[in-house]
Amino acid sequence: MGQNVVLDIKHYSKSYGASKKAANDINLTVESGDIYGFIGHNGAGKSTTIRAVVGVLDFDEGEILIDGHSVKDEPLECKKLTAYIPDNPDLYENLTGIQYLNFIADVFEIDEEKRQTLIKKYADMFEITDSLGDLISSYSHGMKQKVAIISALIHEPKLMVLDEPFVGLDPKASFTLKQIMHDMCENGAAVFFSTHVLDVAEKLCNKIAIIKKGEIIETGTMEELTQGQSLESVFLEVEDEK
Amino acid sequence: MKSKNILLLKTLLLSTSLSNISKYSTDKKKKGRSIAGFVGMFILFAMLILYSAMGCIGLGVTGYISIVPTICAVTVSSIAFIFTFFKTNGYLFNFKEYDMLMALPFKVKDIAMCRFFYMYVKSLPWYAVVSLTMMVCYGIFSGSAFWIYPVWICLALFIPIIPMLIASFIGFLIAKVSSGFEKKNTIQTVLTLIFVMFCFSLSYIIEAVAKNNSGVDIAVAFDEFNKKANAYYFPAALFSKAVTLVGECKIAGLLYAVLFVAVSVLLLMAVFTIVGKNYRKINSALKSHVARKDYKLSGQKKKSVLNTLAYKEFRRFMGSTNYCVNVGAGVVMALIAGIAVLIVGFDKVVYVITKGAPIPTDVLHPAIPLFVYFLVGMLSSVASSPSLEGKNYWILQSLPLEKKTIYQGKMLFNMYLTVPAVVFGILCFCISAKVSLINAVLYLILGLVLCAFSTTFGCVCGIKFMRLDWENEIEVIKQGAAVCSYMFTNMFLTMGLMVLVVWLGTVTNANIVTICLILAECILTSMCYTLVLKLTK
Repeated sequence: MGQNVVLDIKHYSKSYGASKKAANDINLTVESGDIYGFIGHNGAGKSTTIRAVVGVLDFDEGEILIDGHSVKDEPLECKKLTAYIPDNPDLYENLTGIQYLNFIADVFEIDEEKRQTLIKKYADMFEITDSLGDLISSYSHGMKQKVAIISALIHEPKLMVLDEPFVGLDPKASFTLKQIMHDMCENGAAVFFSTHVLDVAEKLCNKIAIIKKGEIIETGTMEELTQGQSLESVFLEVEDEK
Repeated sequence: MKSKNILLLKTLLLSTSLSNISKYSTDKKKKGRSIAGFVGMFILFAMLILYSAMGCIGLGVTGYISIVPTICAVTVSSIAFIFTFFKTNGYLFNFKEYDMLMALPFKVKDIAMCRFFYMYVKSLPWYAVVSLTMMVCYGIFSGSAFWIYPVWICLALFIPIIPMLIASFIGFLIAKVSSGFEKKNTIQTVLTLIFVMFCFSLSYIIEAVAKNNSGVDIAVAFDEFNKKANAYYFPAALFSKAVTLVGECKIAGLLYAVLFVAVSVLLLMAVFTIVGKNYRKINSALKSHVARKDYKLSGQKKKSVLNTLAYKEFRRFMGSTNYCVNVGAGVVMALIAGIAVLIVGFDKVVYVITKGAPIPTDVLHPAIPLFVYFLVGMLSSVASSPSLEGKNYWILQSLPLEKKTIYQGKMLFNMYLTVPAVVFGILCFCISAKVSLINAVLYLILGLVLCAFSTTFGCVCGIKFMRLDWENEIEVIKQGAAVCSYMFTNMFLTMGLMVLVVWLGTVTNANIVTICLILAECILTSMCYTLVLKLTK
């Protein structure tokens, strides 16, 4: 399935204070076409890793490359290729949905015709078109999440990084998002996301990494990892073992 | 600025503009609040214009108009410095949408600079109102050439930049130092408080050093101020020379103007080159929290509901540098004033505060509780705490608590915070001033009643102007309608009462005045408390 390396994490480590290592010597490779699931307990280091990948968090050791560009040395190049959807999207509450989407489209220099088409396409898919004229502060959590997803999609990223993307989404929107992930990967992009919903990860991902106390304890394709078992039982097994 | 940065700045401004809310919100309350915000702003603008104009007209009539450009530069710079310093740790660091912005293709330095310009543009109207009022008065009284107006207007845009940069840089240094510690928040709060105290005492130290010629006439004092301001604060000298010389149609004025602008721009570039290099590192550290994961569950203590709510407020207070510094500064100042008065003596403190005015110190005794309260009650935690609940308000709402209990808990915390400081301050002043026991008891009672008033009145303002949809907590801590309405009303009321008790004390028995004041404050407090109960029904 995959050919080009879109995300390459090499020996990445991040410490908080002198003693606590939030991430320790993490190595991961996400190739184009991959839907890569990142699973682990609360506080295992998923969000810390994800925030470092998208250039939000500074890190101590290692290298993170996005399509060959270093997050540390070429942050702008990396960010142009990436879309990030945090677990709790803090959007500008006093902008309307459409104002926010236009802001993102302007930042990524998307021409008017294209942005119109893409906003319409995704807003219709997530059934939020009618609400785009309202202030974001009036939106529910799920609606904010939908706006954050649309804003991530309108610049057609090569790598989409999502932190717990399904939290707060209604079943239809969850289905739509999964569909979009598949479509993106078929077109050569890659998706890297964290989740606690193992059923979703099992059905959606072709590759999985399990993180525990800041260290990757298992990684590989879904088939290699599960070998006929359910992802849930594999996860519980390796969590207990290591 | 590059177009992308302008876009970011525009979006930041739009996202907090009252006009966007009133235009798109379907919530009538919200719309009403934004209109009230506009009205409040215009009232404050009018007050500033009036105050600045009156000061300048006074100088013009008495023949000291030449000092106005220096006063303008010093006034605007001082306000800009203080306001920026308090805001830096909310606007520049630790802001809510940090993740979202940092994930977008902007240079780190540009994000920091946009945040700075956002602070600048938001506060510019306030500085401009002062500066332009002074310009008109100066133009009329000095009879300067027409060219002074365009030059002054242009330079008015640059006057706040240097003090804002200095304040931001100090805020940056504090954030950088704090980010290296495990208890970042505490270190940041302590360092900020130390700096605030240093600034307050600095003004007195400078005055004390400069005041070796007390009793000289006003002309010499103005001349002295002009010389010292221009010598110690070079932007004031540049601005003053620029507008004065342009007013006299001298080309050198333009050179000074260009120099002033150039210095501001160069300093801006220098500061943000340094800030930009450390920005992500500092924010990463400030936004990350070490999870020790070594907690052992031991015996848990049960608290009463009110104490639990008050404790929750205490944790919120200690968890936010902005909240702690804003509300706690007055408390710390009262404690320091109490210690200072014991060390240096009541007479000397009165001399410094009244700037050497020839007032017999015993006449000022009835003002002791009001002075201590003036510091402690400057801001009430209850004025901002209802709004500070923000998106967490649902937690309290979903608990099986009466609404009034929630606010009683908030009020209790304010009493815990203010009462010890007021009692300590008043006791120290009474000991130092050798006040009789009966007077000391009366002053203590008045102090306690004032704390209760501050608490209940603050709560009324906090509930009446509660705002939960803020983007940045600074909006409700520093510039919210609740805090402003409490602060100004309380400040003018306390100042008025101070003058009143001192004056009444000279014409009648001072103790009777204190007792009357205690009764009046009791009535006011009861009214406010009744209003709180009504508002929380």
